[in-house]
Amino acid sequence: MNEVKQVRIAEGADVCFVTANRFKTGKAHITMAMPLDGDIAAKAVLPFILRRSCRKYPDFTSLNGYLDELYGATLQAGVEKLGEAQLIKMSVGAIDDRFALDGGSVAEAAVGLLFDLFFDPKLENGMFTKADVDIEKRLLAERMMSELDDKRIYAQQKCVELMCGEEAFGKNRYGTLAEIESLTPERVYDAWQSVLKTAVIRIVAVGSSDTAEIEKMLVDRFTGIERSPSKITTKFIKKAEKVNYFSEEQPVKQGKLVMGFRTGMGAKEDYTSAMTVMSDIFGGGIYSKLFLNVREKMSLCYYCSSRLIREKGIMIVQSGIETKNEEKARNAILEQLDAMKSGDFKEETLKASLLSLNETLRAYGDSPDDICAWYSAQLLDEKLKTPEERAAEFNAVTFDEVADAARKITLDTVFMLTGTEAGGNEG
Amino acid sequence: MKVNTIKNEKLGESYYEIKHPSGLTILVMCKPDYACTHAVFATKYGSIDTKIEENGVYREIPNGTAHFLEHKLFESEDIDAFERFAKTGAEANAFTSFDRTAYIFTCSDNFRQNLEILLDFVQSPYFTEETVKKEQGIIGQEIRMYKDVAGWEVMFNLLGALYHEHPVKVDIAGTVESIAEITAETLYGCYRNFYDLNNMLLAVAGSATLEDVLEVADRVLKKAGGKPANREFIREPATPVCRYIEEKLPVNVPRFMLGFKEDIKTPERSLKETVCVEIIHDVIAGKSSPLYKRMLEEGLINTGFSNEYFTGFGFACSFFGGDSNNPGKAAEEIRAEVQKFKQRGIGEKEFERARRKLYGRLVMMYDDVEEIAQNLVDAYLNGDGLFEEIEICAGLTVDDVNENLKEVLCDDNSALSVIMPLKGE
Repeated sequence: MNEVKQVRIAEGADVCFVTANRFKTGKAHITMAMPLDGDIAAKAVLPFILRRSCRKYPDFTSLNGYLDELYGATLQAGVEKLGEAQLIKMSVGAIDDRFALDGGSVAEAAVGLLFDLFFDPKLENGMFTKADVDIEKRLLAERMMSELDDKRIYAQQKCVELMCGEEAFGKNRYGTLAEIESLTPERVYDAWQSVLKTAVIRIVAVGSSDTAEIEKMLVDRFTGIERSPSKITTKFIKKAEKVNYFSEEQPVKQGKLVMGFRTGMGAKEDYTSAMTVMSDIFGGGIYSKLFLNVREKMSLCYYCSSRLIREKGIMIVQSGIETKNEEKARNAILEQLDAMKSGDFKEETLKASLLSLNETLRAYGDSPDDICAWYSAQLLDEKLKTPEERAAEFNAVTFDEVADAARKITLDTVFMLTGTEAGGNEG
Repeated sequence: MKVNTIKNEKLGESYYEIKHPSGLTILVMCKPDYACTHAVFATKYGSIDTKIEENGVYREIPNGTAHFLEHKLFESEDIDAFERFAKTGAEANAFTSFDRTAYIFTCSDNFRQNLEILLDFVQSPYFTEETVKKEQGIIGQEIRMYKDVAGWEVMFNLLGALYHEHPVKVDIAGTVESIAEITAETLYGCYRNFYDLNNMLLAVAGSATLEDVLEVADRVLKKAGGKPANREFIREPATPVCRYIEEKLPVNVPRFMLGFKEDIKTPERSLKETVCVEIIHDVIAGKSSPLYKRMLEEGLINTGFSNEYFTGFGFACSFFGGDSNNPGKAAEEIRAEVQKFKQRGIGEKEFERARRKLYGRLVMMYDDVEEIAQNLVDAYLNGDGLFEEIEICAGLTVDDVNENLKEVLCDDNSALSVIMPLKGE
């Protein structure tokens, strides 16, 4: 992958440039990290309000019309969770100047627009308008509800919420419905100000644009903003004391089983590459224990997989199953975990996992969006790591380290969404 | 063996087209400064192929057979394809859609070895009654899973409301009942009919070279004796089965999809027609249209609102849909806006805006090796070259689009599908 150049812009704000000529698209992402507490809903609605308009393009239609003129430039807003940080994100993508039909710089205009949206929004009397806030709060509430209509996401969120109820991580990244419904222009404005002043900010730009020009634009924008970045920490719980079990009935055709595990991490620094490899062998790829046994051998499901959330030190296993097979599936999953703990997995599966992890890492460099995502996700880390450096860490993991990592895992919470007779169980 | 090179100066891209002596068509786009390569081995056999032709007579096969066969092809007598790919690290998968089955992998290392596995396992069917039975459990759960997905249900309900006869209305994976009828013999029969290399295509895009591809193809492809499978063109009545269909599911937000069915006289749409309809959709209902803004402000849609031109062999419709707290009112507004445009036509400025956007999006596509390979397949199955779409887009006029607008989006041929929340749950 191409070299990355990191430049500090202000206190707690930097920009990473990856210059590459092989792409036809240039991309820029802004990621702002705040603690996952306080007025979560106001921070969550912020990127969507900012994506609506700016002083220069004061309405949704004129802004989108301008994007179309910039050859269908893409503009996206989003909110994510990274450990117990709430990430507020905006990104822009545009074709490289050499493909413009009538000359002119598309990429620079697009990056300039992104900064306009973020630093120079549409305000009336120094305030976001009530009309804009009202629309965006409805959209945010619908975004949240609609996401939960996906039963797979619903069951997973429910498990995390129950497991981490005493931790910030248990909160929805959009806030609660009541918090969203009570939003006011003042609260959104305050959130914008506190993000400008206290968020940890990273911009990543990929493409062939003039980096000096973008750097200058950014320095100008940050001039006059008094920065004092928040300290963002995540609470880690090493070990589950007992297993909590919850279930909920809904008229669905397929049941969803979700199991949440603690992975023995007491702090961010306790993370080891062996834990990622362990989770991958357990329930990652087509060579994994869960795929080969719970799906292929036992025919219990279409999917059964595990995912490590390293920034929080937990691992989540999910599967879509027939409600009546719940116990069978749960036992099968735990049996496979026990096998991992006692070193009952093949050396060749470890090899397969490492090959697959290497392939995934090598693919990052082929996509401007993935390169942006790679460096954005590291905004709270001390030092930037390239995909190659991560690959080297994985490749050093040994068989015994994987088994050791498995032995640190304890089951914390089980959540089962069960189907009722009305919805399923026919056939 | 003749190697054709197809170039596009403006994009600075080119690809090779080869008719291999085995009967297989091979398309390769080399991107030497990329790390990965994506390969697609596809057959023209999808869920709409519910019949096998034998001497001019069409015989029915169970719904969901194409998808079932896709799952089973990964198995073999000795070592399964997944196990073989595990040894190379490639990310391998497969999917079945309405009009094709595709076997794919992405890799940065061991390309030749991976291509060999791909070509070999797809050419080596092995089915037994026992392994067929085992798969019925796994696919049964896949079918169940989709039954709970509102976005999937709203579309298949709409297809059921629009189409009387055409098998596009049948769920891709079939039903628990239909797949219970599948036997090893069914699978062998379908395999013989649809997996002839003359009915298939290999598309490769990325860091692999033409030599890499041909060396493996020459070695591994078995000469095909057959011919491409025939598809039966089922002429549909112009009007839908019903104008409205509703289902209740345990969801929070209602969902809708409004579909306009086209009265088509030939089975396939030309690329120019497709590009015209995409521009029409964007002018009427895209993010910068007055309709979009109005419905957003009236609370009738959210930013998930989207449109699609849904076409394939024997079917073509325009879809508009998303979440809505008032699906009936949303559909009414879209219908009214469509009528307005059909009467007054599309203006030069609106057209130019939408065309520029489409052009930019088509350029962006060439950054992604997976998309390139999939688009090579799309274009070939439609009988087009890969670069034709962007050329058509660059040369299109507002008159072309207005001419097309007369033929599509007829209100009499439309239907509305709605998913409503189950109350009191």
